[in-house]
Amino acid sequence: MADSAVMRDPAERVSPRARLRWLVGALGGGAALLVATALLAGWRAEVPWWVLLPVAVAVAGYAAVVPQWRYLVHRWEITDTALYTQTGWWTRERRIAPMSRIQTVDYNEDALDRIFGLATVTATTASSAGPVRIVGLDAGLARRLTEELTRKADAVEGDAT
Amino acid sequence: MSGPSAPPVEPAPAPTGSGWQRLDPRMLALLPLQELKRWIGVVIGLLVAGSVTGGTWQLYALLIPVVAGTVDYATTRYRVADERVELRRGLINRRHLSARLERVRTVDLTAPLLHRILGLSTVRIGTGSGGATDDAPLDLDGLPTDRARSLRDELLRRAGESTAEPGEPPPERVAARFHPGWLRYAPFTAGGLAILGVLWGGLWQVGEAVGIDLRVLPGLKRLPDPAETPWLLATLVLATLVLGVLAVVVLSVLAYAAAYGQLVLRYVEPRGPWRLRRGLLTTRETSIDVDRLAGVTVGEPLLLRAVGGARLSAIVTGMRRDDAGASLLVPPAPAAEVAHAAGEMVGTADPVVAPLRPHGPQAVRRRWTRALGVAAVLALAGVAAAAVLDAWWLLLPALLVLPAAAGLALDRSRALGHALTGRFLVARSGSLLRARDVLAREHVIGWNSRATWFQRRAGLTTLQATTAGGHGYVEVLDVPEAEAAALATAAVPGLMEQFLQRR
Repeated sequence: MADSAVMRDPAERVSPRARLRWLVGALGGGAALLVATALLAGWRAEVPWWVLLPVAVAVAGYAAVVPQWRYLVHRWEITDTALYTQTGWWTRERRIAPMSRIQTVDYNEDALDRIFGLATVTATTASSAGPVRIVGLDAGLARRLTEELTRKADAVEGDAT
Repeated sequence: MSGPSAPPVEPAPAPTGSGWQRLDPRMLALLPLQELKRWIGVVIGLLVAGSVTGGTWQLYALLIPVVAGTVDYATTRYRVADERVELRRGLINRRHLSARLERVRTVDLTAPLLHRILGLSTVRIGTGSGGATDDAPLDLDGLPTDRARSLRDELLRRAGESTAEPGEPPPERVAARFHPGWLRYAPFTAGGLAILGVLWGGLWQVGEAVGIDLRVLPGLKRLPDPAETPWLLATLVLATLVLGVLAVVVLSVLAYAAAYGQLVLRYVEPRGPWRLRRGLLTTRETSIDVDRLAGVTVGEPLLLRAVGGARLSAIVTGMRRDDAGASLLVPPAPAAEVAHAAGEMVGTADPVVAPLRPHGPQAVRRRWTRALGVAAVLALAGVAAAAVLDAWWLLLPALLVLPAAAGLALDRSRALGHALTGRFLVARSGSLLRARDVLAREHVIGWNSRATWFQRRAGLTTLQATTAGGHGYVEVLDVPEAEAAALATAAVPGLMEQFLQRR
């Protein structure tokens, strides 16, 4: 009996290109924020122009730190009986979903994902708090994983509720 | 001949060809009222148009709902035959709903006030195990109440859900029953406090806006001006406050009695379902399959706990999100009765009363830092505001925030705990909204383990057991990582072990 056993990290990492994709996303969002702030500063006299500076610094800091931190944290693992993921940079969230309870497996690519050849795999269970998601996978690997998960989830008996 | 002890079943109304039956004729009085709700826009429009153009033709607009109701009555038929229960209604939009008898799982009777006055009930037939992919329930809206009851017993018997003899109501076991003593817990809910807050704020606004001057009342002319005599002002304020509290108490007691009067929670032998009937004016009935009952939650909000009360909700799989209120089983009631009902529902009193494992000093410290941290910020803000705005009366609440937060932290750290008893996972947390969740182990789907950066530094995590019912999970708050792993391993063997490592 493992008295002081704790949960370990899942074994696999996501694709390194995910860092670039997250960086581009962060910069895009940051640019939008800067534009909005500039418009606000131009429109309302009480918002001074130097407000743009801390906003720009915050955006730059976020873009420099968060994608790399996320890449270090985001992990996944699939075994015969379960799917295990780890996500989040400030709040680390680990999710385990047993194969026998997986109801649907979704494969998803958004616009930015497609540019970098990435995809997201989502497995849902009967619980509203349960969807297990792997973001930033290489697209080919994601397709193979989706098929493997679907096969394994179907192989286990039961109606997965 | 001596009759049976149960009242004889009313004969079914004469069938109109091949077993189809109509709703009770008394529905002719109620259906137009229901149709009025649907046609209200048209009716009002015509009435307005008519009054503008003069003449009395617009009164014929009131006939529209009457005609619609009569058509509805004439075209609605149901029958129970050939292993199916069928319902047909509608003249222009014809609908034909049917369900196989063997798929019938729940039959609920509801009687809104007008139905009750006329002696009618609505029969709602549910199929399958509940959930988004379920068939829509079949509603027979308007049968005489005892005919509705015997139809329910018959449907459940033929669906195999009951082993009662034909013509007899099935045996039942009562887990909770309303008695007038419950009413004294009515004001101690969040609803009561909200009403009080709204009333108080409203009275204040009105008083200021109107500038109430009592001297306009005869006989009070010789009273001094309240604004100049503090004692009179204070008395008035106190009187308003007392009246306000009384109003809240009376209103909440009345609302409670109307919603929960005559509540009975009972189990239909031998395989369920659990049936909850409640309501003084409108009787509502809900059924919960034993298979769908994943667990219960004993809620003890602060005020209610202080007066020795509690309430009970069910964790039910397949219950749609907007039915969350429908999962309340026992409203604020004596804590002992709630505990008894909880024990009856999960089959054993153990998980409801078992002592819980504490979560250790780190978790306790987090309760204190979080409560006092927020309180310190609030207190500082209050002091700053008092200084800046020169409103020195703000100092008192600003300083009271700190001991209040300390009390909150103490209560929260005492509430924190979890346990694994036989078939159940038990978790408790909270002070203002304390709740003890009891979840059957076989209803645990998977695990989520969340930890903020602060929690990770303290070696803690919040473990969520995901399940198909209720909010989607039962949370074990701020538990040491090793204990979380041990709990998950023991609760659902074979899942967590492969993802563990020795520290």
